[in-house]
Amino acid sequence: MNQARATMTPYRIAVRIAEPAFWFTCLLLLWQVLVRALDVPLFVLPAPSDFLYRIVTDHQRLLHEGLITARLVIYGFIAGAIPGVVLGYLIANVRLFEQLLYPLFVFIQGMPKITLAPLMLVWFGYSTFPKILLTAMITFFPVLVDSVAGFKSVDPRLYYLSRSTGASRWQTFWKIQLPSAAPSIFSGFKITIVVAVTVVIVVEWLNSNNGLGYIVLRAMDAHDTALIFATLVVASMIGVLLSYAIVVIERVAIPWRRH
Amino acid sequence: MSVGASINARGLTKSYGSGEGAFHALGPIDLDIKPGEFVSLIGPSGCGKSTTMLLVSGLEPPSAGSIAIDGRPLTKPITEIGIVFQDHLLLEFRTAMKNVLLQQEIRGLDRAESRQRAEHLFARLGLVGAEDRYPWQLSGGMRQRVSIARALVHDPSMLLMDEPFGALDAISRTQIRHDLEMLWLETRKTVLFITHSIDEAIGLSDRVFVMSRSPGRIVDEIKIDLPRPRPAHLGEYPDFAAYTKRIYSVFEKLGVYKFD
Repeated sequence: MNQARATMTPYRIAVRIAEPAFWFTCLLLLWQVLVRALDVPLFVLPAPSDFLYRIVTDHQRLLHEGLITARLVIYGFIAGAIPGVVLGYLIANVRLFEQLLYPLFVFIQGMPKITLAPLMLVWFGYSTFPKILLTAMITFFPVLVDSVAGFKSVDPRLYYLSRSTGASRWQTFWKIQLPSAAPSIFSGFKITIVVAVTVVIVVEWLNSNNGLGYIVLRAMDAHDTALIFATLVVASMIGVLLSYAIVVIERVAIPWRRH
Repeated sequence: MSVGASINARGLTKSYGSGEGAFHALGPIDLDIKPGEFVSLIGPSGCGKSTTMLLVSGLEPPSAGSIAIDGRPLTKPITEIGIVFQDHLLLEFRTAMKNVLLQQEIRGLDRAESRQRAEHLFARLGLVGAEDRYPWQLSGGMRQRVSIARALVHDPSMLLMDEPFGALDAISRTQIRHDLEMLWLETRKTVLFITHSIDEAIGLSDRVFVMSRSPGRIVDEIKIDLPRPRPAHLGEYPDFAAYTKRIYSVFEKLGVYKFD
């Protein structure tokens, strides 16, 4: 690990950031030039300068609504991920849970849960609760699957070892099982948090008077394509920032990993 | 320092499953191991060597028979033991030293004292400088040395080793065999050593039990009367050839080897 970290000099980090940034900028420039050269109408496809300018002019509104969306993503993610890890542990370790719950979960996982969104609206009305609930439900399953895989990846002979030390169940969990499963759990988190952003935005289309999903819907009605793109950029940034936050938490929580 | 424990087993049997489909894996076998003795179990794959180890440690219950450790009947896993498996089974998220000190953390032993013991073991096992390395930064031989240190740091009375050098190259095996013998001479734990290697069994043991396959039974017992510490090249003892020949002939009788 020390060797791996040592090679990450500031110069190499700069190159790693600069290279993709360069190509991305080239792509945006090409887009800009093509849209202007072909004289594409603004409501069909705005040039990057159009929607980036919208981000500047509408930054207060985008930030305000973006934070509302981001907060729902975080609440929903936490509300889904914690039961996901806990039940993942129970399914991997307690046969009864595996026999009773796993088939049920496999069935529910096959169901497109986003279709429950209108039902949530009927049951709970226009509040944040149904949005968090649906995000939690959708976050729960991939986290559960990765947690089960993580907890099951523990070599069964490690349990012989821990029993020979007289370890309690709690000690075995805390010192052996959880750290062993952590890489798998975190890889589930990283994928799921981005899915959670999508879910919140979709639910906001149906059932909201605020948030980024609501802005997109309003912009569509007004043929304000530049605002749709501007919102898309903000939503992507939320997704990227949140998954980066997971990476940072992972590095702090499990520093032994070969990153 | 705790002295080695005695192991006495009577009619030890292990079957998996029940009724028609039951698999009779082991026994019945009797085992009598004296305190501080180094005993090897050798036999073909599937002869129940590893099962014997799990029964002796109380980690698996026998289907029939009884075990006494130091004269006390064994009813649940005992904790005055150290175990080494074929793969190192180190926790990848702990450094070498922290893997060893896991014993101290779980058992709630004195930290400074355990650390001192661990450092002593690291020195004896040629691990100085590896304390802060993670398992993936260590060679196979060093990982196995760390797991030996982990099995001894809490000063157990018994050391159980399940083909501990099975995954190592021949040169590492010879060295680690010697280092283990020197550690054993210093501490005199009771060792139950499971192996496929005739050289290893003779090179380390006071007594070798030869086992047969399905069901696992002890078919021969050989007292190894060679001076200690034993050299890298065991062939310099005439007796070594005789012991080797005897084990081979048992294996041939069992049909483990078919040479024309």
